[in-house]
Amino acid sequence: MRDVAIVGVGTTQFGRAQWSLLKMMCEASHDAITDARIGDREIDGIFVANMGAGRNNKTLGIASALVDRMNLYPTPAEAIENGPASGASAVKTGYMAVASGMCDLVLVCGGERMREVNNLEATECVSYISHRYAEYVYGVTLPALAGMFARLYMQKYGVTQEHLAMVAIKNHDHGFVNRKAHIRERVTMEGLLHGPDVANNNPYVADPLRFYDCCPVSDGASAVLLAPASMAGDFAKRPVRIAGVGQATDCQAVHERPDPTELPAVRIAAQKAFQMAGLTPADIDVCELHDAFTILEIAESEECGFFPKGEGHKALERGETRLGGKLPISPSGGLKARGHPVGNTGVSQIVELVLQLRGEAGPYQVPSAKRGFAVNFGGFGNNVVATVLSEGV
Amino acid sequence: MAKTVDAARCKSCGKLMYPIHFYCLACKGREFEPVPIEGDGTLLTWTRSYALPLDYAQLFLTLGIIQMDQGIRVTGQLDIADPKTGMRVRAHVGKVRETMGKDIHGLIFQPVRG
Repeated sequence: MRDVAIVGVGTTQFGRAQWSLLKMMCEASHDAITDARIGDREIDGIFVANMGAGRNNKTLGIASALVDRMNLYPTPAEAIENGPASGASAVKTGYMAVASGMCDLVLVCGGERMREVNNLEATECVSYISHRYAEYVYGVTLPALAGMFARLYMQKYGVTQEHLAMVAIKNHDHGFVNRKAHIRERVTMEGLLHGPDVANNNPYVADPLRFYDCCPVSDGASAVLLAPASMAGDFAKRPVRIAGVGQATDCQAVHERPDPTELPAVRIAAQKAFQMAGLTPADIDVCELHDAFTILEIAESEECGFFPKGEGHKALERGETRLGGKLPISPSGGLKARGHPVGNTGVSQIVELVLQLRGEAGPYQVPSAKRGFAVNFGGFGNNVVATVLSEGV
Repeated sequence: MAKTVDAARCKSCGKLMYPIHFYCLACKGREFEPVPIEGDGTLLTWTRSYALPLDYAQLFLTLGIIQMDQGIRVTGQLDIADPKTGMRVRAHVGKVRETMGKDIHGLIFQPVRG
């Protein structure tokens, strides 16, 4: 297998799209191509990450459509649909294509335009990833699964609503200075939990989770260009190497897990990624976790091995996971503030880490970050991809 | 005939599971007999969800995961005003969703009284 480098990255503004899904994906891809300055080198493989275009945007065969809009035919292209983990899955597939020697310059583009439909439709669409007969028919949605998980987790480990709010406050502080972020506002403990207007400003969505414990419904697209590490010097930017990729799956119906407060797929995916990279959690300078719900950032920070089980909220409380702390988690603002265009999220996490490892993250730069880690969480933890990135080749 | 929601018992090793899988989780057997989910259980966790999908006219749904005395866990709707984790609940089968004019039946739980 060849070592693989990320040689170009691009991303659109997240939020409510001004453009069509395909236009967003073209813009992100164009940014990545421009960033790498590929010149007349030919892209010889394209992997597109998306979850809901078939339902929300009346678009199927989205990889073919992207190739058409960008005049990249006859380059081989396919779409990867792996629920909310589609993004990292597509990066992984691109990695395999380059590592195997089958391709020399691969474009991975993730895009999602969820706000073309109303919130009810968007929530319905995402709920299709739950078990159709054992969960979906009951009206189970992802916030509901997260609410049930949170209640149990909080009870077992002494995590409080204040801890959940601390994740939101931290990630909104981070996202406030990310000009691509969907939500650019700061929030306070007073406003989220103790003020006079809490019932209106921060109502329950799926108790114990409140509105500000949930990520927004976002549109956005991101792209990366992958090349063999041996050719990375041909491109304009400092390369970042994909040092490790790990993936794991789990049962679909959450109630079947032996301990519903554990996320074994996160643990296994992270272990595999670290093993492949020959690194440990202590070697990581910056990470982007999948905080679709605040409780998930705490649980993932433990399952990935950054903190012992039941200690993640204590590290949060001590400020260790904040920009400037020992291990900044989601300096981009995470899903919570940067936004969660579902099928794109995994690609955008990789883009953010590349910016960090190049030293290009500007106001949310983690000083001299050399190694980054991302978790892209699909289903409610039934398909998880972890990626370790390393500065230079 | 009264509607049921069925778990699956593996004909080779007797393992009871819900939902059904193509291979038995214990022995990879492929033949199962249906076993109606019924009786009492303990509420493991719950939520009052205002994040509803399509098909519901109400403001919220109360949902929970229940450890059944039968030895399986299930997800279902709670017809309980003030749920508490650890409380004893009883399974009923009733309408849980209506999609395109068609009723879908599933498990609904009420408190065990007395």
